[in-house]
Amino acid sequence: MSGWFWVMIGVYLAMLAAVGLNSWRKTKSAEEYIMGGSKIGVFVGMLTFAATLFSTFTLMGMPDFFRTHGVGAWIYLAISDAAMFFLVIWFGLHLRRVATEHDFQGMAGLLSQRYRTRFAGVVYLAGIFLFLVPYVAIQIRGIAIFLSAVFPETLPAWAWSLGIVCVMLMYSEIGGLRAIIHCDVIQGTILLIVLWIIAVGCIRFFGGVGAMFEQVKQMDPALLSTPGPKGLFTPQFLIASFFAILFLPVTQPQITTRLVIIKCDKTLFRMATGLGIFTFLVLVPTIAIGLYGAVKYAGLPTGEFLENVLLHDQHDVIAAIVVVGLLAAATSTADSQLFALGSEVRSFLLLKGKSPLFVTRLAIFAFGMAALIFSIVSGNQLVLIARVSFAGTSMMAPMILAGILSKHKPGPEVVAATLLGLILFLYSQLPAVTFLPSLPKAVGPVRFDLALLLALGLCTALSTAYRSLSPRHPS
Amino acid sequence: MKKPPVFWKACIAGIVLLCILSFTPLVIPSDVADPEFLGMPRTLWAGFLVYIGIVVLTFIGTMVHPQAGQVQGETE
Repeated sequence: MSGWFWVMIGVYLAMLAAVGLNSWRKTKSAEEYIMGGSKIGVFVGMLTFAATLFSTFTLMGMPDFFRTHGVGAWIYLAISDAAMFFLVIWFGLHLRRVATEHDFQGMAGLLSQRYRTRFAGVVYLAGIFLFLVPYVAIQIRGIAIFLSAVFPETLPAWAWSLGIVCVMLMYSEIGGLRAIIHCDVIQGTILLIVLWIIAVGCIRFFGGVGAMFEQVKQMDPALLSTPGPKGLFTPQFLIASFFAILFLPVTQPQITTRLVIIKCDKTLFRMATGLGIFTFLVLVPTIAIGLYGAVKYAGLPTGEFLENVLLHDQHDVIAAIVVVGLLAAATSTADSQLFALGSEVRSFLLLKGKSPLFVTRLAIFAFGMAALIFSIVSGNQLVLIARVSFAGTSMMAPMILAGILSKHKPGPEVVAATLLGLILFLYSQLPAVTFLPSLPKAVGPVRFDLALLLALGLCTALSTAYRSLSPRHPS
Repeated sequence: MKKPPVFWKACIAGIVLLCILSFTPLVIPSDVADPEFLGMPRTLWAGFLVYIGIVVLTFIGTMVHPQAGQVQGETE
């Protein structure tokens, strides 16, 4: 496979380089560098949104989720995604209207303007830094560990991480958002093709879809229902995850930026429906891959299962394409998030006047380095760290929604409550320290993270209602 | 001309209802895989139906949105 791998990786890197250079030639201003030209059509918009959304979390995490926890994984991700695409229409239209009124350069700057305090921008920046950098890092770590296991003689995991970060930074720094978006198109297409190639092989192994479920039932019938063999998919876990994923277009800057730079509202509408279809096509094959693993590699650790199903059970050429697909999945999400982090710093600094482009580039580089270091020292729980990241950023959703939707100036108390919520959420995720009191796992019958989000939503709603009714708080 | 919001609101209600249904025993009954459909366990085929329902309502939503007739050209 090694020879084919180097050929495929060479072709892939050449495509990224070509896109990066082409984008660099077309980019004439700092505005174009940051906002990608703001003329994204349906097809490109759909693929860049999807590629940014679907990471190694989809290609590696979801099959392992189906293998370990069963069919409830569909409810965990697919239903949340479908609802999210509807939210894209509703929230996207409001965001685009407000973005036009306030010359949108990033959510941090926009929130500072809407709340009329830079405190809102600071809290937003803190939230995305705290929760996005670990997510970027786990993408890089997932693929680096995988590659070092597959090619033990070539490079250690940290060197693969370094290489991946360097490639991402190179085309992001050179070509800006336009390069990232067009790389997303390549990466999203590769991801879809790779998933289906593997899934078809898995279904053939069983001799059909019906036979697949029959064999899974014989292995472990608990995989065919919720909460699954390990009891993970309880209704509360699924509901809390639903909100964490639902609010991604609201809370994650790489996605909000894409909603703003879509060519027109009609394109946004078409993209939302297209995303529903594309996502179905991406997630269905992960079921077959996961259930194949449940039957054939039930007792193996995650890494060995993925190595077998993605590489050893495939033809050399397919295995090489799969590795490139994994790289594509990891980089398409991570590059967008790093770039968005840099852009958000710029949008915040612009409030004070000029923000030279080199500051943005420096910020992207700094976030890339932070993600690299975290990727070397972090754990291996890909899906669960991703979920914590989603849940963490979702704590900012009420503040952002109030900032975008409210006709009156939202109050700073919403920002203060959000900061408190972020601190409490982060504290609840830290390992227990003996001299500090630990937070409860649940508030009454409700999970802590879900209760926190509900409390923030309630505080925000009350504050907004009070300010809209009170004559002392004009819009 | 703006379209009446009643159909748009009906789409929102439909999607909210489908999302709520996904977390009830109708779709995720505890430790129950029957009835099967085309060999698929209940949670999966019911989950597929909910997913398709939401996507179809999203599509209809884009047609009946109050601004659907106005959305043309650049960002409004």
